[in-house]
Amino acid sequence: MMENKDKAQKKIKANEVAEFILDAGVFLMASGAHSGRVWRNCKRMADHWGYHMNFNPTFTGIMVSVWDDKNSENAVTRYKTAPQNSVHLETLTQISHLSWEIADGKTDYDDACRKLEAIKNKARYPFWLVALAVGISCGCLCTLAGGSPVDAALAFCGAAAGSAARHFILKKQFNQFLSFIIASAITTLIAGTDTVFALGKAPEMTLATSVLYLIPGVPLINSVIDLLEGYFSASIARSLFAASIVSCIAVGMTLSIMLLGINYF
Amino acid sequence: MELLTAIFFDFILAFCVAFCWGILFGTPVKALLMAGLLGGLGHGIRFILLHSDFGLISATLIASVTIGLLGIYAAHKVHNPPVVITMPACITMIPGLYAYRSMLAGIKLSDQAILEKDPNIIPSIAHNAVLTFSLLFTLAVGISISALLFRNKSVKQIRFDKSRLLAKGK
Repeated sequence: MMENKDKAQKKIKANEVAEFILDAGVFLMASGAHSGRVWRNCKRMADHWGYHMNFNPTFTGIMVSVWDDKNSENAVTRYKTAPQNSVHLETLTQISHLSWEIADGKTDYDDACRKLEAIKNKARYPFWLVALAVGISCGCLCTLAGGSPVDAALAFCGAAAGSAARHFILKKQFNQFLSFIIASAITTLIAGTDTVFALGKAPEMTLATSVLYLIPGVPLINSVIDLLEGYFSASIARSLFAASIVSCIAVGMTLSIMLLGINYF
Repeated sequence: MELLTAIFFDFILAFCVAFCWGILFGTPVKALLMAGLLGGLGHGIRFILLHSDFGLISATLIASVTIGLLGIYAAHKVHNPPVVITMPACITMIPGLYAYRSMLAGIKLSDQAILEKDPNIIPSIAHNAVLTFSLLFTLAVGISISALLFRNKSVKQIRFDKSRLLAKGK
């Protein structure tokens, strides 16, 4: 019985396996998984389908080789470019669960494809909830850093407004770096009123903490994790991506600080 | 008593931060609470350590490693990969203030008049940038502690039940 089952699964072609692995892997990569996690998830699926695999993850795409030990004709190497990076950790959970289902033999290939498609189209948190959450967390961070309630309130307004603005810019399909510049400019403009009109006790904290929601924490931390695990090309690409976002934030803040008058700061 | 209130206050605020950060990162609903608790706990530990004269970097390292280790257990509880929980939790300690200070000093550096008046901005940039990067590195170590300690092993394969430990002992 077990052998029959194995034989039935062997029928899946290397090309199909590679396609599924790439689809899942690239999506994982863009959702904020480090390369080690992508490797483990993909390997689990390839192992179950009876293939060896090896891959080269870079942040912008994945190159994967899939081959059958017993049949040297049944092998393929393919590359796929990753979609735009947008962190969504729920994807990590779901693809991890999917890969375990496949590894335990609960899901066959067609079913797995359907489930992956469903994961891709899964709804995210609504933008107003994200804006609210971002506002609250920046307000709390401001208080943690020693700001008064007035500082925290301004950080809340700035972060929430900037986050909502960024959502609309991205919705219009502008370049994502532009969205970071504009969002940080708007946030700093609102948070900077604290410094200009001397409203709160610690206006420096308002400015420093209100733009924290833009900091690319996931790519930054992932780049260090990749570095520790030896995926150097992915690590460099991630840190470059994160560094350019940080410099975009700096550009946006500079614009607003110049606009409000640099001598205040 | 005052210190206890301060620690509790710190915990609550960090809980809110980690919880909301989880929403921003798209953590699943049932893991949000766990992320908040871990974030609050980690930040609370850092607060206590900072009060007992630990250095900023070592305190952050201990806190983030604690988050990383507890995250493995928490991940089993809510059936999620640990990153989903530990990422928002560790982000509560992100060194935003130091990044901001080094950036602001960088803006000022472009103006010669300000530079001549206060040449201290160059060491201040260096100091803040180094602090930022060291703190980021400690956070990454905390999050990847499971990958570092249990090499090439999925967290799902780590078992907590005693029966296996006993069997091994025999």
